[in-house]
Amino acid sequence: MTLDAEVDALRRVPLFRGIDATKLRLLAFISERTRFADGERLCSQGEEGDSAFIILDGAADIRVNTPDGEKTVAQLGQYSIVGEIAILCDVPRTATVVAAGEMDVLTVSKDDFLRLLKEFPDMSLEVMRTLAQRLERTTQDLVALKSSAEKS
Amino acid sequence: MVILLITVAAYPISYILLELPKQIVNDAIQGEAFPREFYGFEFDQISYLVLLCMSFLGLVVVSNGIKLILNIYKGRLGERMLRRLRFELFQRVLRFRLPHFKKVSSGEIIPMITSEVEDVGGFIGEAVALPAYQGGMLVVQIGFIFMQDPLLGLAAISSYPMQAYIIPKLQRRVVLLSRQRVRNVRVIADKIGESIGGVSEIHANDASAWHSADLSDRFYANYKIRYKIFNWKYFIKFLNNFMNQLTPFLFYMIGGWLVIEGELSIGALLAVIAAYKDLAGPWKELLAYYQMVADVDVKYQTVVENFDPPDIYPASRLTLDEDVTLAGDLTMKKVSFSGGAAGQEVFEVSFKVEEGSHVAVVGPDGSGRAEVMQLAAGLLGAGSGRVTIGETNLDTLSESVLGRQIAYVGAAVHVWTGTVRDNVFYGLRHRPLRPPERGAEAEAHNTRRLNEAHLTANPDYDIEAGWEDLEAVGCADLAELDVRALALIEKVGLASDVFRMGLQSPLDAQRYPEFAERILAVRRALADRVTEDAHLSQLVELWRIDSFNNSASIAENLLFAVPADPSMAIDSLVDDEDVYATLKESGLETSLTDIGARIAETMVELFANISDGSGLLGDYSFITQDELPEFERISRLVKSGSGAAALQTADRKRLIGLAFKLIPARHRLGVLDDETRSRIVSARAAFHKRLAGDTRRFVTFDSDCFIAPMSIEDNLLFGRPRVDRRDARERIDKVIRSLVDEMDLRQPITRAGLDFHVGVSGSRLSAGQRRRVALVRALMKNAAVTIIDETAASMSEDDKALRAIIREELTGRTLLFGATNLSVAAEFGGSIVMDQGRANPQGDGNRLMAAGSAGN
Repeated sequence: MTLDAEVDALRRVPLFRGIDATKLRLLAFISERTRFADGERLCSQGEEGDSAFIILDGAADIRVNTPDGEKTVAQLGQYSIVGEIAILCDVPRTATVVAAGEMDVLTVSKDDFLRLLKEFPDMSLEVMRTLAQRLERTTQDLVALKSSAEKS
Repeated sequence: MVILLITVAAYPISYILLELPKQIVNDAIQGEAFPREFYGFEFDQISYLVLLCMSFLGLVVVSNGIKLILNIYKGRLGERMLRRLRFELFQRVLRFRLPHFKKVSSGEIIPMITSEVEDVGGFIGEAVALPAYQGGMLVVQIGFIFMQDPLLGLAAISSYPMQAYIIPKLQRRVVLLSRQRVRNVRVIADKIGESIGGVSEIHANDASAWHSADLSDRFYANYKIRYKIFNWKYFIKFLNNFMNQLTPFLFYMIGGWLVIEGELSIGALLAVIAAYKDLAGPWKELLAYYQMVADVDVKYQTVVENFDPPDIYPASRLTLDEDVTLAGDLTMKKVSFSGGAAGQEVFEVSFKVEEGSHVAVVGPDGSGRAEVMQLAAGLLGAGSGRVTIGETNLDTLSESVLGRQIAYVGAAVHVWTGTVRDNVFYGLRHRPLRPPERGAEAEAHNTRRLNEAHLTANPDYDIEAGWEDLEAVGCADLAELDVRALALIEKVGLASDVFRMGLQSPLDAQRYPEFAERILAVRRALADRVTEDAHLSQLVELWRIDSFNNSASIAENLLFAVPADPSMAIDSLVDDEDVYATLKESGLETSLTDIGARIAETMVELFANISDGSGLLGDYSFITQDELPEFERISRLVKSGSGAAALQTADRKRLIGLAFKLIPARHRLGVLDDETRSRIVSARAAFHKRLAGDTRRFVTFDSDCFIAPMSIEDNLLFGRPRVDRRDARERIDKVIRSLVDEMDLRQPITRAGLDFHVGVSGSRLSAGQRRRVALVRALMKNAAVTIIDETAASMSEDDKALRAIIREELTGRTLLFGATNLSVAAEFGGSIVMDQGRANPQGDGNRLMAAGSAGN
């Protein structure tokens, strides 16, 4: 897959939907393209996070530590982004990401992503908008959850 | 002497040169009574004229020849004196006592030895020759004028007494000013040196404005002084010129009158005027000489006064090659020393360290501990009292004894620019011991070198000889010395560091053919493992002549070789004739130009709007910020014109250079198709054929050969870790390391690490590594007395273990170990506690500990 294909893939990631193609090309160019074999770890829960992963091809299991050992809580598919929380705010990885089958991943390092945001303010705005939407949805979910909890 | 003789030989010739024109005018042109007889030959007027003119010509040649010889002689004498002077000054620096270095700085000393004495040396050549030659010329010419007419002679020199009186008076002012100037320049040099040394402090404290102001002020002072000097110098010149011009006035007056009266021939007057014109030259030179003497005298004085401290060591301390064996107890008897500042004093310290015992010297900074250690090493001389080993007073010994039989590691260690080996063997290089083998021609050069050394009072030590004192450490040859060094490196815990250095170092395969063969064996084993293990083969792309390596640059893929000079930049490869010819032949020139153009276009598009400060461009682009406009221009040309085909060769080469840097797996620009890949692979053979085994510029990849320009590590791998696999480098490194251990290569690679270049003053080593290197250097010496101060002196586990190793290594030999921490003393049999320059009585460690804590 070449840069242009990667840009297409990036465009399908919700976080980057509104950003124009040249900037996505730059983002793709400065990111590292990595292949992962089945069972290889992209990151582990609790460690310092320094990059986000964009799944170009394949799928990954999200696992968290529980008293009974690691447990898969979700699976992410093509065009999803994982680990973006770690590159926007300094928190340890909240989950472990393991490749489920062969995977093709674009790795964006934290420094580069932040530099890019600094370079193109409208890009930060777009990211902000997406995150705000997500927050809004979470709040709604929470309200719904709360009201249903009160009812019961 | 030779110069004087030649100079004297020049006098009669110049006289005749003055006399001849008169002869020609008066005798040959205006004369009568021809033919004349000359040595039995008869001459008519014309041939007589020719004869005189020819002899004139001949004399001109001879007199200029003499000048040439004189100049060469002078120059050589000057250079020799300069060399002698510089060496003497440098040796004096080595003879300074240590405390003196608190008062002088390298920033001042360096310009003194290098530039300031330059004029002095140049002058020495002139010192005899110039006054002798020009003074003699002057006398000859004045004599000539007097012979023509005494009155004219008097007129010619009438202004000299005045000049001789006034000029020195004025010159004195210039002399004083140049003295000021020299001092000021020295301070400038020192300040610049200090700014460079402390540059991180300047930036960390935003002090650049302060330093700028400081230096700017000094430069202004320099300007003022120089401006004053100019004023005086040109005023002196003005006076001189004026007085010199007065004399011709007198000539025309008196000479003209004499000719009219018929007392002087017109030829004589012309000759006198010509002579006077020549007279002005030497006279001017003599005045300039006088100015130079004054100037050089100042410079010499201002230099030499800095190299003559009253307490300088005698030269014999450096040069003697004494054979005294130090044995017995190390004793200090009422030793006092003052370092010139508070906390650097030692008062009446007395103690005795028995031969072969290990004693700790404990005390905080400023307690006099460091001074006591240096006194014991003979680095400082006691102000009063005696430091002895056995019956020998250290003060009377030369460095040939102190520096060989005492090992010292101080608080501040210095690592020399050079290899690890140079630094570790440094303590064994006292004198040239094994003369190098030389061919006849080199031997002749060497004889000349020795001869010059004797003429200039320089030492005749041969820098190319083998200097390592093998006997002192009981080694038979250099290989054995290496083994010993490696053992010590292992012991002080430096082995894994040196091993890593070894992996990164190149190897001289010609020197170690067997080692190179073993590296190739590891390479083969690794290749086998990679083909067998599917997991491993995902991590690395090995070099294969018939397949494209996506994790390597296009340049490497095309050449299937590396430049013999590892510092050669990838984009300059295209300037190589063979490379370019290969590209042309295979038609890749066009494809790569197209690829380059597409890369340039993408880069310009991606990075055109990026600001300089973001660093994105430098980190990821093929292009630096400075090159961007250049490629923007080329890119526009490609778009506007008929594509890349219309470009100039220089631009095409730039684009190819860009394409060369592309690593397909990393850059994913999609500009390289499979067809081009296979064409690149097939161009390899053509390129190799062109090289025809010539390894001076390129070394081709060959799985059965050690590739000299590459590091040992790259040679082991013979491929590239895949860039699209995470941590491929680290993972493959692990495999290499385990293979190295399996095949018993660790030791030879560590040995190759001895050739690792440590950078300027060891800048490529960490502080801890530098200290350990210094420790190995001291232990290598096998000295009777070892003094270690503030090294491995903390209470950390590492340091504790290191201390145990040092003590084990020095069993049966005297060791003085300096530390700030009282608990360290507990490990030693005895200890001396320093407090404010005084030593507390000796005792066993435990009691001292108790005393120490009770005191707190």
